Amino acid sequence: MDAVFSGLASGFQVALDPFNLFLVLAGCFAGTLIGALPGIGPINGVAILLPIAYSLGFKPESAIILLAGIYYGAEYGGRISSILLNVPGDAGAVMTTLDGNPMARNGEAGKALSLSAVASFIGGTFAVVLMSFFGPALASYAIHFSPSDYVALMVFAFASLASLVGSNPVKTLLAALIGLMLASVGIDANTGVARFPFGIPDILAGIDFLVVVIGLFGMAELIHLVEQQAAGTLRTLKIDKSFVTMKDLAFTKWTILRGSVIGFFIGILPGTGASVASAVAYGAEKRAARDSSKFGNGDMRGLAAPEAANNASAGGAMVPMLTLGIPGSGTTAILLGALLLFNITPGPLMFSQRPEIAWGLIASMYIGNVALLIINLPLVGLFARMLTIPQQFLTPLIAVLAFIGVYSVVSNPHDLYMITLLGVFGWFLRKLQFSLAPVILGFVLGGLFEDNLRRALSISGGDWSILVTSFNSVILYALALLVVVVPILVGRMRRGRSEGESPQAPS
Amino acid sequence: MADRIFAGVLFLVAIGYTIIAFTVIRAPFQYDPLGPESWPRILGIVSIPCCLFILAKPDVSSLGLPAKTWGRLAALIVMLLVYSYLFQPLGFILATFAFCLALSLMLGARLVTGLAFSAGIGIVGYFVCTKLLELNLPAGVLTIFR
Repeated sequence: MDAVFSGLASGFQVALDPFNLFLVLAGCFAGTLIGALPGIGPINGVAILLPIAYSLGFKPESAIILLAGIYYGAEYGGRISSILLNVPGDAGAVMTTLDGNPMARNGEAGKALSLSAVASFIGGTFAVVLMSFFGPALASYAIHFSPSDYVALMVFAFASLASLVGSNPVKTLLAALIGLMLASVGIDANTGVARFPFGIPDILAGIDFLVVVIGLFGMAELIHLVEQQAAGTLRTLKIDKSFVTMKDLAFTKWTILRGSVIGFFIGILPGTGASVASAVAYGAEKRAARDSSKFGNGDMRGLAAPEAANNASAGGAMVPMLTLGIPGSGTTAILLGALLLFNITPGPLMFSQRPEIAWGLIASMYIGNVALLIINLPLVGLFARMLTIPQQFLTPLIAVLAFIGVYSVVSNPHDLYMITLLGVFGWFLRKLQFSLAPVILGFVLGGLFEDNLRRALSISGGDWSILVTSFNSVILYALALLVVVVPILVGRMRRGRSEGESPQAPS
Repeated sequence: MADRIFAGVLFLVAIGYTIIAFTVIRAPFQYDPLGPESWPRILGIVSIPCCLFILAKPDVSSLGLPAKTWGRLAALIVMLLVYSYLFQPLGFILATFAFCLALSLMLGARLVTGLAFSAGIGIVGYFVCTKLLELNLPAGVLTIFR
């Protein structure tokens, strides 16, 4: 307990440093702007701005504070385009449109925006508080993990990824394998043997993380935007004078709390971020409600639950990233890669060896959440104006930012072609309903997975049974099995029940 | 069909990857029990059945895009490749100006606003990035700005 408070105190020292404080605010502001842009979500925003933040030459804790600010700022801002335009910024904001947009159409846009801001704030803060206690506890437990335990942890991570993310588990698994394969290109660090170089000197050192991220999440998004380009301009709903009241908050307080809890714990699961969290929270809330007829037509609970959940999941996803080095969502996979660029390996030792990064980041999230609530309530009109930026100007801007980012880091024109090609590849993956987050998770975790597997087998002298001999690893394999089997069983049960009951309205 | 074609291509890549993993990659001296070749072998062997599964049970029949959209996407890719090609020799300002103008016009901007926007991004972008943020961008033919 004392360690938590002294850690937080040292973290606030880092986060309240004037320059870092400025970066928290700048990151939150930029994040909200990016989140508010239709069609661009947290993952694209962080991906496009990562190389620029990297090449600015900040200290690692400053850079990660900035990027994290953009991340949860964008989770915050995503609700604006969902509510006013009915266009979700990314998969995590889809659930917000279901009740948020009808509320706005019923003349309660101001209320919808302010209620969702408060719900986001509570979800986000709840997650940071839990994170301050969970993080160090998990880290001090994970410090005893052996390489074979890490292998089991990876298996668990990929199992929960395949089972919970995307519509088709095989496609999600294949996407993760593509990421792992991309990560295996280049010189093997243990033996110096070049793998899959195909005579191209540029990829001897491996495919650059920044290039993969910008290609898959920046350029693929750009191609998607051009594909979606509608003939007419999008029509925004007006923000009216209605505002959230204490009565509304009292009505939704348990909804927000449930959403926060669901969001945080789903966020912790490796690979499952805001999209799964908000969908589960919305579904749970609808089932728990005594009168669910208004859901989908502007029920406040239907808006508050997913908003609380997706912001809580952003905090939850940070927990395994900081303590185990296993990202809890696609966006935290990018943040993890960012830390690796600074030669910092997140993991159980980070809380003791680099406390200024771990605690500085956590403290900055306390500040960022408060700042987001403050800038979001009065300035929502300003952010809403972002929605009217014509797409024909926004789209080229994304390409230019991506090019600036890649060129300023690597200064190699060859990489500019690489991001374009990866963008085309990512767009095809997306069109064919592969999710892109598993690719980046696979890419980030590839090296770690292989290293731990090889280390474990070096310890045992080539005996594979070492993988299943420790208590931790057996538990993790059991959990992996559970996370694969339970959704299938639940799906069966629900289908069985709905067939047994009298015909009902489609949900 | 689209799913099948894509999975087929991935399948061929996975086969190639696995063959290379089994034949080409070899350490001159075995440092650890697995060596550099085992991990790619495992990945290859797991990915092949995944591709086969999608080949057998595809769930996206077609991309469902009209020919006009394909044309627009092809134009975008060409623009991006030309932009990549010109980025260094021509310099950030001119290459960005040309790229932004072409793309914004294609997406329906009017000529005057398009021109103003592209010139703004090129010039302001260059000075903000190089002078204010101290990023590295190519000056290209406009050597006076270096």
